[in-house]
Amino acid sequence: MGTVGPQADHFPDGGDMTLLRGFLWLLGFQLLGQLVVEALALPVSHAMAGLLLLLAWLLVNRGLSESVATASQALIPLLAMLIMPGVVGVFFVIDEFAGHWTAVVAALVVGTFLSVLTTLWLMRRFMPREDKGRDAGSRPA
Amino acid sequence: MNALHASLLHTPVLAVALTLAAYLAGMAMFERMGRPSWCPGVLIGAVLTAAGLWLLRLDVADYQRHVAALTLLLGPATVALAVPLYQQRRHIVALWRPILCCLPPAALLAALYAVLIAWLLGAPPIVLASLAPKSVTAPLSIGIVEQIGGSVSLMLGGLLITGVLTTLCVSLLARLLNITDPRILGFALGVNGHAIGIVRAFELGPTAGAFASLGMSLTGIFTALFLPLAWRLLGL
Repeated sequence: MGTVGPQADHFPDGGDMTLLRGFLWLLGFQLLGQLVVEALALPVSHAMAGLLLLLAWLLVNRGLSESVATASQALIPLLAMLIMPGVVGVFFVIDEFAGHWTAVVAALVVGTFLSVLTTLWLMRRFMPREDKGRDAGSRPA
Repeated sequence: MNALHASLLHTPVLAVALTLAAYLAGMAMFERMGRPSWCPGVLIGAVLTAAGLWLLRLDVADYQRHVAALTLLLGPATVALAVPLYQQRRHIVALWRPILCCLPPAALLAALYAVLIAWLLGAPPIVLASLAPKSVTAPLSIGIVEQIGGSVSLMLGGLLITGVLTTLCVSLLARLLNITDPRILGFALGVNGHAIGIVRAFELGPTAGAFASLGMSLTGIFTALFLPLAWRLLGL
């Protein structure tokens, strides 16, 4: 696209609105999720319902539009940063949960050890053996 | 001078700028330290943010109200997780039997063990609700905690610790049980250790990484559907 002239500075993408269009799709599915959750009084978050609706939409249409792919590639790496303000709160609730920290630590340490042990045992029990004949590393199936 | 301080404190821009600065500095320190699995970059960023709040004499409640201008993006970013899940549909179809046999009990027990142990030690319902989604990836577990009435902050703290513990437990138990299959190790890392487990799984190789992503996504969706329902049925 020929982007010469004063406008070029304002539209560095040369008028490519793929990201914005994808972002609008994601917001649309979140709103749709909110609608469904409120209408049916479902016990899931609006974003979670939006995720499931978008997944269903992708499966039914058997295709991923470039705009949605672009927007998700832009947003997913930001997730860690977006949850960080919530993590900050943990330093300010230490007093609020005083007296329960033994229970919390025990539940985290022992609970995680037991659940990792269970998952490994279940997977070893039910996972079909690796196909040694074929190229094992290239495709996990 | 005081008026200037007050006016800065009353704009979301300061909260957003502090968050971005702390996150970027935290990630840079994380890289400098050689990406240690026992100390996630987010945790360093959170410590730096807390230090920033203290230096600026900014109240944490005000901060969290103002930073909502940024965390609004959490909604569409969560919806976007449908895309990687859609891209993994081949694995899910090819392995539907072991997934169906392993995932629901594994995800269920990950929540149950923690809740049961905390309950036996006398923890109140708000603590139990904050511990229940400890293996679910943060964007989804925030939604779960809001449904079942826990503390988002306590839950996120537990979530980070769970992720770190998962990488340690998987390394230890893989050696003890003599498991080398990257599919099994990756799946266990993703199911129990969410995003932190995935990072460790990709260090083991692309196969382990793919299975960790799969395990994390499916655990998140399964838990987000069953936990609020279970909570409602138990009348908690």
